[in-house]
Amino acid sequence: MALEKDLSGSVAGVRALFGAAACSCALVDDEGSALTYVAADGEGSREILGVVLPVGRGIAGWAAMSGQPIAVRDVRADPRFARDVAESTHYIPTALLAAPMFDSQGEVLGVLSVLDPAVDESSDWTLAVLGTLASQVAALVEAVRRAPAAAADASRLEALGRRVLDAVEDYER
Amino acid sequence: MSVLPAWSAAFAADLTRVRALPLPDAREWAFGGSTGAGVAVAVVDSGVDADHPRVGAVAGSVAIEADPEAPQGWRAVEGPHEDVVGHGTACAGIIRSLAPDAEIHSVRVLGPQLKGRGLLFHAGIRWALEHGMAVANLSLSSKSEAMFAPLHEVADEAYFAGTLLVAAANNQPGPTYPSQYASVVSVAARPGADPWALAYNPRPPVEFGACGIDVDVAWGGGQSIVATGNSFAAPHVAGMAAVLLAKHPGLTPFQVKAVLQAVSDNAGEAGSAS
Repeated sequence: MALEKDLSGSVAGVRALFGAAACSCALVDDEGSALTYVAADGEGSREILGVVLPVGRGIAGWAAMSGQPIAVRDVRADPRFARDVAESTHYIPTALLAAPMFDSQGEVLGVLSVLDPAVDESSDWTLAVLGTLASQVAALVEAVRRAPAAAADASRLEALGRRVLDAVEDYER
Repeated sequence: MSVLPAWSAAFAADLTRVRALPLPDAREWAFGGSTGAGVAVAVVDSGVDADHPRVGAVAGSVAIEADPEAPQGWRAVEGPHEDVVGHGTACAGIIRSLAPDAEIHSVRVLGPQLKGRGLLFHAGIRWALEHGMAVANLSLSSKSEAMFAPLHEVADEAYFAGTLLVAAANNQPGPTYPSQYASVVSVAARPGADPWALAYNPRPPVEFGACGIDVDVAWGGGQSIVATGNSFAAPHVAGMAAVLLAKHPGLTPFQVKAVLQAVSDNAGEAGSAS
């Protein structure tokens, strides 16, 4: 499907930006009660694809529920998280970043997660960058849903990457 | 050019000094000797685990749940409930650490269903002001344009009713509600380990910076985790407000905000060197 193909490029780019072990994107179902992992790159990506988790579970679920990004330094301290992930993938991260993805109406349509980023996750910088990326990926999801053929343009992803890198450099200054 | 809503950048090492009320020894006046005793603080979130050792007793619990049969589309279910994720417990634990004798009330508005979350969030704030909460911690936000006016209205009502809304800012592009409103105390995470550290941002809408990076917080299942987010900065300020209101009952939200500015690390004459 066009959506999954485009999102694969996005999560690969986000993973590279953060130097992370993995990055995944989960979308909220029509009922608003479950998250389905539709794109992933890196460790455990094959296993996580297609996994459906209730919105009320896990740190990604909390990001979706609260509308707030979060960074957790050691997710293994939450035994429920470890169990959920262990059931879904062979890779259990230590650190995790999760940011909600909003549609143009401001409703949560998914969650972007980054596992074990190489950058120091203990700063506002990472959440600010991830939040910006999540909004861009959300825009991509909406665009593809509206017009699948027109949105499947790799150059848009490159433009997104350049904009993010510009923003990162600007922030560091 | 800055495309990032990186609110914490305002609270970096070189804090801009802000003109505040000239309260001598403001921190001692505001907080000294107070434990937050008797001040009702609502944690509007995913629930609170009352059995968590870092939370202690919860004075009350109510779950706001969707109910298509109800006139307003929701119902309030009083009685003990669990924390569905762990986040509300984290916020409650932070408030407890600053205000050990505050009366914490869990107002659960987050559940396993995203549809209608803005409506339940709105209802939770309304519950807090109608039940005389002195402080309500809102470590959640909405970006829904449809919720802009309803949340604005209830935030103003809370302001005039004397319920201080402490709202976490959001690191996403574009406005988020209610942290954007002048009627609330909006908070972003700020570097540093001191839970009592506070800074005022001369360039709102996010007004305050508090401890929220790499915070050791209570979590579900009796556990603790180390987490980062504006969500964890807000309850630090909610705890400070509870301590202040226990010592000086009856202060209005605008008075509380002025005192919080006066106790900020960068309070002083604008443009002065110290």
